[in-house]
Amino acid sequence: MASQDTQININDLSFNIEGKTLLHNTNLSLNGDGITVLLGANGAGKTIFLKLLTGLLTPSSGSTTFQSGNLSIKTRAFVSQEPVILRRTVLKNMLFVLEKITSEKSTLAKELLSLMGLDKKENQNALTLSAGEKQRLCLARAIITDPEILLLDEPTANIEPNSTTLIEKYLIQKVRSSRKIFFVTHDINQARRLADEIVFIHNGRVIEHSSAENFFENPKTREARKYISGKIN
Amino acid sequence: MNDISEAFVSSLGLILFLDAELLEIILLSFRITFYAVLISSILGIPLGAFLASTHFKFRNSVVSILFGMMGLPPVVVGLFVYLIFSRSGSLGWMGLLYSPTVMIIAQVILILPIVCCLTFQIIESLHTRYHEFFRSYRIAKLKSVITYIVDSRFELTTVVLAGIGRSISEVGAIIIVGGNIDHITRVMTTAIALETSKGNLDLALGLGIILLATAIVLNGFILFLRGKYLKTPGSTI
Repeated sequence: MASQDTQININDLSFNIEGKTLLHNTNLSLNGDGITVLLGANGAGKTIFLKLLTGLLTPSSGSTTFQSGNLSIKTRAFVSQEPVILRRTVLKNMLFVLEKITSEKSTLAKELLSLMGLDKKENQNALTLSAGEKQRLCLARAIITDPEILLLDEPTANIEPNSTTLIEKYLIQKVRSSRKIFFVTHDINQARRLADEIVFIHNGRVIEHSSAENFFENPKTREARKYISGKIN
Repeated sequence: MNDISEAFVSSLGLILFLDAELLEIILLSFRITFYAVLISSILGIPLGAFLASTHFKFRNSVVSILFGMMGLPPVVVGLFVYLIFSRSGSLGWMGLLYSPTVMIIAQVILILPIVCCLTFQIIESLHTRYHEFFRSYRIAKLKSVITYIVDSRFELTTVVLAGIGRSISEVGAIIIVGGNIDHITRVMTTAIALETSKGNLDLALGLGIILLATAIVLNGFILFLRGKYLKTPGSTI
């Protein structure tokens, strides 16, 4: 599990594609616990940054280190904005990501589904779930792999309010204390509800990194002030 | 016109009274089609799934060649297989020419690219949706290929049916390598060609009716499955 002793160091991380720089040389040092919200306008580079942390994209330069060595991909789980649901039952979707299915893991899968309000649908074709239910399933599926770091790319975009509430409540009450969460959103209010710290990205550059309280009460950059006041989105 | 009507009535008689010669030809046709499609599916579906979900240096070239092979002229395939399996050919020592086995081989060469390319098209769209998920959870290549096949099983049924349709109606290749030998390599299509040239229209028509009915039933089944799967959540066809 990630803990307070853990440090995530992002060293000179950048990402270019077809001659265009989508993330400029980023240097950050983050705590290994709590919820870090990546905030920024559409197209700012939040998802690129998250995918670089996940290992889904290879950086053009720089690296990410987790405490003393390279971050093992086994310790991370990624949930994208578009839920990826396999053509099978809800329970089988949960168990799919496990290398070995044990009775303990099966029990855990059922418990996680119950926490996500999907316990009565475990034998249902997962493709018939609503958008919010699918996203809850994706989150539960990520948790069952017991990741040290959970990376969530706008998991509550385009889903029902009750699913958003359930996911937020679950993250704050059950997940935050035991693992590091990176959460991408451009919803200011959601960031206020969830964030321990904010990484604000503008035009592919991390221009502000501070505690959530500091960020919202005393933003240091003009872009952050404009974003908080809703002048850019 | 009268001759045709008589032949038609006579052909119906052959079908209704289960003429032995007619049955023998039909069963051999189905047997060859079954094995040709089975082998093509066993090889073509995993190959198509692998190509759709894997990027390697000459992938596009391999895919282009396979797509080009979908339009292989059957007579050219027949000639190619004939040359290989003829007495002076590289595999002539096997003595397979003019046997049902070599007819199956020729048909596999014709059907395999079709099964492979149709599978490729179906699984490529699924790969677009799944690959990031598989990468983020480090799903093993074999498991991901199996998942692509399992998750597109409904669509792949229509691929197999398309293979059956192509196989059972093929004549150019199998007449060259099979030789259309009575009781040994005579199948519906080759028999129709022969009996028509001999003027034996009742048997030719009887076989034609069976062939047509098979094609209609297969296509009807494909349409039925398509309609059924379009209603299935997550359908990609």
